[in-house]
Amino acid sequence: MARSEFAKKTLLGIVPADSPFYAFHPVTRLAFLFVLSVTPMFIDRPEINLAIIAMTFGLFWWGRVRMSDLKKYRLLLVTVALFMFIVAYLAPGDKAQLTPVRLVGLTLYWEPMRWAFVSYVRLMAMLFGAILYFSTNRERDVLVGLRTLRLPFQVSYVAGLSLRSAGMFMEDFATIREAEQARALDLDALSLREKVKLYTMYTVPLFAVALRRADEISAALYARGYTLSGRPGTGGKRTDYLRDKSVLRVRDWVVSFGLLGTFVVIAIVSRTTGVFSIQASPLIGFVEQLLGIG
Amino acid sequence: MATNSAAGSSGRIWVVEEGERRSPGIIHVVMMALFIGIGIVVGTLGSLAIPIGFVSAFWPGQAVQAVGSIWFGAWGVIAGMFFPFISNAMSGSAPIPVSAAYLPANFIQGFLAVAAFKLLKGDPRLLTARDWTIWVVFGVLVANFVGAFWGTYVLSWFGLITDQARIPALLGWTFGNSIPSLIFGSILLKYVTPMVIRSKAFVKGWWA
Repeated sequence: MARSEFAKKTLLGIVPADSPFYAFHPVTRLAFLFVLSVTPMFIDRPEINLAIIAMTFGLFWWGRVRMSDLKKYRLLLVTVALFMFIVAYLAPGDKAQLTPVRLVGLTLYWEPMRWAFVSYVRLMAMLFGAILYFSTNRERDVLVGLRTLRLPFQVSYVAGLSLRSAGMFMEDFATIREAEQARALDLDALSLREKVKLYTMYTVPLFAVALRRADEISAALYARGYTLSGRPGTGGKRTDYLRDKSVLRVRDWVVSFGLLGTFVVIAIVSRTTGVFSIQASPLIGFVEQLLGIG
Repeated sequence: MATNSAAGSSGRIWVVEEGERRSPGIIHVVMMALFIGIGIVVGTLGSLAIPIGFVSAFWPGQAVQAVGSIWFGAWGVIAGMFFPFISNAMSGSAPIPVSAAYLPANFIQGFLAVAAFKLLKGDPRLLTARDWTIWVVFGVLVANFVGAFWGTYVLSWFGLITDQARIPALLGWTFGNSIPSLIFGSILLKYVTPMVIRSKAFVKGWWA
């Protein structure tokens, strides 16, 4: 009887088994990660990076990722923005070269503030690209992607085991925390100092568990004939089940090349023209007009 | 008496005894992978607990880098170089291109600690004042300063901070990271090292 699957436990959450992302090969999803998290580096215009963020959120929705899982990043969005704008306000650079702007009783300098905004939007676009990948992929998918790209066995094995062990340690961590909550631990009532102390107490047992697991896993690998070289102890070639079971289809080739082609075009256009520069930004131009500068 | 014998044994931990054969094996590769896993958890949860973003005010990951390198030599250094890639992306601290630019800093933060302990023959169980000095000076303060020096350079290179903000960011980063490294790393070295040195995964040289 075929086993039905309802959901897939990804590195950052859970997605339904019929999430459209799973219609694509893991290599195609790696191409998504690369393009979404690197392309914004070549784009200064904030409206384009904002469009990339909107598209990424569209992909979260399309991929049926629980949007409530993204709530944990809300505080980060605020603190990073505060940090960047405060730094631009307190350390603007050579003031003689900058344009002062009076706003809500403060003298701000336009160029560093503008750059802080541009960099913040770019940073968020790159971050959400990576978060999308980790929210929609399991460690197995990462492993299949790396094996299909023909990375050496040792590299892909270490990457796969690292991600799998991170998942196991996260579960260990959650188990310890839930056990304490069951004994009436109220995390919200703890001060920052107490939270840090508790965090340290949680992590020490993880190291003890890791040592035990290293022994068990290496013994299991040895028993199955694995060697450091990645070749079977008896010689010959090891069968790569993961790679063989997962086949790249036409749509994977089309989407992957489409994504990488788009990236290459953006990178070339960015380096050879000013299309993606701040000067070409209507949004920045509008704000400059509003402030009476530029 | 106990203190004297402890002081006398300090540094002996790195000596390969007569008849002792050490060579890199699967256990080291597995331990490196598991250490990357632990680093991902510790780094991600640490960054999410106090989310300042790319300039971390509380990043216990450096303690994992330093302690892992002291225990597992080059395997620990490699693990310390690569786990921030994933933990930064998962916690939203830094995107992948910025994490890639952090690589030399991550290398230094692990390498300095293990190099200091091996060259100065310190004992990672922190038995004497000398061991503590090596740990605090090289494993915590110098490692974090050099890491922050490179890290703030990367941030200004990516336009995330202004050039003028490099010095305050450098100081904030160094001391912000040094505090969890000192507390968290010291506890790990003091209480987990005795367990590690009895395991097959412990590395006396660089690779075994």
